[in-house]
Amino acid sequence: MTAYELDDDGVVVIIGSGAGGGTLANELAQRGIDVVLLEAGKHLTPDDFVNDEWGGYEMLSWLDKRTSSGNWRVAKDHPTAPSWSCQVVGGTTTHWSACCYRLIADEMRAKTVYGDIPGTTLIDWPITLEEIEPYYDLAEAKMGVTRTNGLPGLPANNNFKVMYAGASALGLNVSTGRHAINSVPYDGRPATTQDGFTITGDKVGSRWSTLNVEIPRGLATGKLELRPQSRAVQIEHDEAGKASAVVYVDAAGVTHRQKARAVVMAGNCVESSRLLLHSKSARFPDGLANGYGHVGRHYLRHLIQTVWSVFDKPVYMHRGEIMGGMIDDFVRHDPGRGFAGGYYIEMNSMGLPTTAAFMDPGWWGRDFVSVIEQYANMAGIFMSGEDMPQADNRVTLTDEVDAYGVPVANIHYDDHPNDLKMRVHGYKQLTAIHKAAGAKRSIEAPAYPASHNLGSNRMAAKPEDGVLDGNCRAWEVPNLFITDGSNFATGGACNPTLTIVALAIRQADFMAKQMAAGEL
Amino acid sequence: MSAITAHKDPKLPPPVDLPEGADWVKALALFDPHVAETLVAVARTLYPHEGLPERVYRRTVFHFDAMAAKAPGAAQTFAEFVDLVDGALPMAFLELTESYRLQVLKGIEATTAFQLVQRSTVRFLYDDLEVWQAFGYEGASVHLGGYVKRGFNDLDWLPDPPPGV
Repeated sequence: MTAYELDDDGVVVIIGSGAGGGTLANELAQRGIDVVLLEAGKHLTPDDFVNDEWGGYEMLSWLDKRTSSGNWRVAKDHPTAPSWSCQVVGGTTTHWSACCYRLIADEMRAKTVYGDIPGTTLIDWPITLEEIEPYYDLAEAKMGVTRTNGLPGLPANNNFKVMYAGASALGLNVSTGRHAINSVPYDGRPATTQDGFTITGDKVGSRWSTLNVEIPRGLATGKLELRPQSRAVQIEHDEAGKASAVVYVDAAGVTHRQKARAVVMAGNCVESSRLLLHSKSARFPDGLANGYGHVGRHYLRHLIQTVWSVFDKPVYMHRGEIMGGMIDDFVRHDPGRGFAGGYYIEMNSMGLPTTAAFMDPGWWGRDFVSVIEQYANMAGIFMSGEDMPQADNRVTLTDEVDAYGVPVANIHYDDHPNDLKMRVHGYKQLTAIHKAAGAKRSIEAPAYPASHNLGSNRMAAKPEDGVLDGNCRAWEVPNLFITDGSNFATGGACNPTLTIVALAIRQADFMAKQMAAGEL
Repeated sequence: MSAITAHKDPKLPPPVDLPEGADWVKALALFDPHVAETLVAVARTLYPHEGLPERVYRRTVFHFDAMAAKAPGAAQTFAEFVDLVDGALPMAFLELTESYRLQVLKGIEATTAFQLVQRSTVRFLYDDLEVWQAFGYEGASVHLGGYVKRGFNDLDWLPDPPPGV
């Protein structure tokens, strides 16, 4: 096992081992760069995982307290757990449902294409789709995304048959979609057994994660050291204003200071903003890289919602891969719909425990009972749409500190009128699809805790608009990078992981070139 | 009953086996019989599944008791909750009929105590193997080879999509 000294200031220190950090760690190690990867959670194996919704949730989730405010429904339903990510080696890639869609060009020019929308802080991305496309290609190949590189799509399961019947009756463009889940054996990993538990860790390994692909390959180079159960609590800088060390606490509660040549934050949106805000100094009194006040702002979480419908006959939606269905008719911006941006329709399946918990938290009584008793006959359909950035939708620090002495984060989110219009449009479409397949009753389920956390340390063409430049490097700290979804300039509509991975590969290219040129 | 067999992951502890009859409360660590029976009545009023036996609601309250034994804050909230539902009308909650029980629960819906009890009921009642079996959720599958050969695409009341769609 490779082990670097704490005072080795030649290492790149990455905080977080999920889609961004885990991928970047491997990509840098493959380029011969020394990397220390800090992960707050444990290093689990497939044998540790369970096929159990609550068991998996409790094993993998980041359960530290947060608070919430604003008029979003999540603040009422999940006040101390408004955001949902994982604390484990592999991060949220141990949990994700593996939908892999690309941003489209219009989404990356949101300000230009959508125009001036009052109350929003829309910008264009500082990079173009053409610049990311080669990295999307690399990401899809390494992740084994279905319907790319000659890989077949996932087969239709029961829930998809319902979605297909409804969508095709309405003339919509429906397929099983694209996923980083093997439909056939690929890259040393087996095909799916349709076990339905990719989101509690994936015991089979048919789905790509940084735990089962990137991190082992990075470790095999001898250039990467993984330190699990290492909780970053502060980023320090030197007199020149460059990031110089990461302070972290290990499993035994001992505090360490790892020196660094460069620091990369990849702890998921909320944690990256929280750590920057907490890393105050005389030079950065409002938090590291926060001279323009953008750290934590413009927080996005996508317009996520599900319709659960009851049919006359059994569906058994829990059988098989849970999100193997996609409709892309509403992705493109179309002012005729009365709102900006677009959304994907995707299949959604849950077991009985979480269907009951998330269908409408707070709902009780005979009406609820009459629906949930028909679980076997239920199907699910879902949307992920673009929400509007707003300056005051943000991550801030509260007065309460956690066990590590770091302030608990608050997430404030107010819905924008554009969000409401898209949600209403989406619920109508989702319900219409199930009705066209014969649904007896459809339930509009609200968003669950935010899992598409984006934008709170966004990249922008100039420092007045965002924390990072187009290379995901902090404008104010030249060796500080962010490679999680908080770097998104705007949210787009699709599930973000593929884009996070593509940006991480691009990040590795940039950092390696800078190092070779002696500039980093 | 649906024509399926529900499975818990074999790595997890087996479902708790409570004694039948009033003796079930002896399995509890913290709650006294009045608190326990009141919470069972509340759980059934919140989620009144006619076909489910009393023991699934008792197992739900068994989990409340375990939560309370682990967390003093939760213990206090459960105690406050029972005081609330008993004090709402001149008769104890257990003695009330369904319409009055509903009236009492609707009256305290906004309280933290109600939210803890309602959310915890959902958390544990619908995580019960006997409830899974009753409502057609099969649960853990990897140890049985997944569903790839066990019906992941056996729905036959709609036309099959074209291959490769």
